[in-house]
Amino acid sequence: MTIVRLGGDHELALCADADGVRQTVEVGLLDDPTEGAAVLVHAGVAIAALDQHGASR
Amino acid sequence: MRFVDEFRDAALGRAVAAEILSLLEPERRYKVMEVCGGHTHSIYKYGVDDLLPANVELVHGPGCPVCVIPMGRVDDGIVVAREEGVIFTCFGDMMRVPGSEGSLLEAKAAGADVRMVYSPLDALRIARQNPDREVVFFAIGFETTAPSTALTLKRAKAENVTNFSCMCSHVTIVPPLRALLESPDLRLDGFIGPGHVATVVGARPFEFIPADYGKPVVVAGFEPLDILQSIAMILQQLEDGRCEVENQYKRVVPYEGNLRALEVMGEVFELRPHFEWRGLGFISQSGLKLGEAYAEFDAELRFRVPGVRVADPKACQCGEVLKGVIKPWECKVFGTACTPERPIGTCMVSSEGACAAYYNFGRFAREREVV
Repeated sequence: MTIVRLGGDHELALCADADGVRQTVEVGLLDDPTEGAAVLVHAGVAIAALDQHGASR
Repeated sequence: MRFVDEFRDAALGRAVAAEILSLLEPERRYKVMEVCGGHTHSIYKYGVDDLLPANVELVHGPGCPVCVIPMGRVDDGIVVAREEGVIFTCFGDMMRVPGSEGSLLEAKAAGADVRMVYSPLDALRIARQNPDREVVFFAIGFETTAPSTALTLKRAKAENVTNFSCMCSHVTIVPPLRALLESPDLRLDGFIGPGHVATVVGARPFEFIPADYGKPVVVAGFEPLDILQSIAMILQQLEDGRCEVENQYKRVVPYEGNLRALEVMGEVFELRPHFEWRGLGFISQSGLKLGEAYAEFDAELRFRVPGVRVADPKACQCGEVLKGVIKPWECKVFGTACTPERPIGTCMVSSEGACAAYYNFGRFAREREVV
C-alpha cells in the first residue's frame, strides 16, 4: 500500500492499495513514515517500508 | 504496479530457471523447503514448480498460521464464543478451521456472536462500540501478525478499554524449524526463509540453520521471480560449498528486522513453556502469551477455557504434510472427503495451506522425470 496521508501523531495513516481502496493503517512501527512511501501492511499495521534501492538489486 | 510487476516478468523467470538448471548436478536430487505458507501459495498460483527441473523438489513447511492451530485450541475458542454476552472476533480463515465438534463458523450459525475482522484493531473498535459486551480477539499467526496484536493491546491499555481481551495463540517460527531439522524423516538441502516473518525478526534468527545444521537459508519475497531467484541462490551456495543466510528480499527485510516491532512484542508478550502445534506436537518455547503487564487482557484468565488436547481425525494427514513428509495429494482424503468447501484438516482451510494450494491450482498428482 502507499501512504496517502499521515495523521498528526504519525501513528495512523490513510493508505491506498493498487486499486485505490483506502484503509486506515497503524504506522507507528516504521522509523520515518512519509506520504507517498510504499509500505507492507499486515493485519492493519505497516511492518516495513519498501526500499526502491533494495528492489532494483 | 511498483514492486510487483517487475517481479512477475516471464522472460526473466525463464532466464532464472535456466540459471537454476546450470547449477545442478544431473544425478543429484535436491530438496528445498519453503517455510512460509505464502510461498507455497505463490509457487502453485504462478506455476513456479513447472519451471524447475524434476530433480529439484519443493517441500512445504509449517509456516501457515491457521494450519498449525490444534483442534483443542479451536474448541477452546468455541467455548469462549458461546459465553453469554461475548462477541468473539477472529480472522476469516480461522472461522472455518474444524474443531472436534465443528468450527467457529458453525458456532456462529448456532447462535454465538462470532465476527470476522481484518485486524485486531477492528476488534478493539468493536469493543469501544459495545461497552456492555465482552469482546475477545482470537490472536493467531507468527511474528508477522504478533506486532499488530501487541500494538492493539497497548492501545487498549492506554484507552482503558476494559471489555477487550485476547486469546493469544501466536507462535514463533524458529522452534518448529529446529524440531524439523532434528527430525530423522526429513533430508533437506536448504530453506527458502519466510520473508514476512523476517521483516519483523530479521534474518539473524535463521543463522542457526547453517551454523548448527549446515543448510543454506535464503530469505525470500513472494513474487515468482523472488522464489526462483532464492532457489538459484541456494543452489549457488551448494555449488560453491558455502552455507549461510542470504537475504533475497532486501527491498523489505532489513537484516536486523524491525526493532520497534520487536520492542513492542517484548513489552506485551512472553514465551509459553510449551505450545501444541498441529502435526508437530508440543514444542518448547514456541508460543506466546500475554505478559504480566497485560494479564488483565488475557482471555484465558478472564474466561474458563477447557484447554483439552484433542487428537486429529485419523483420516487427516495434515501432520505429515506440515512436516513435509508427504505431498498433499498423498493424503487419503485429499480432494475427496477433504476439500476447501468441507475441510477436514487445517491445511485445506487457509489459502496458505499446502493442501488448499494444491487443490485450488489443480495439483492432484505429480509424476516427474529426473532431467
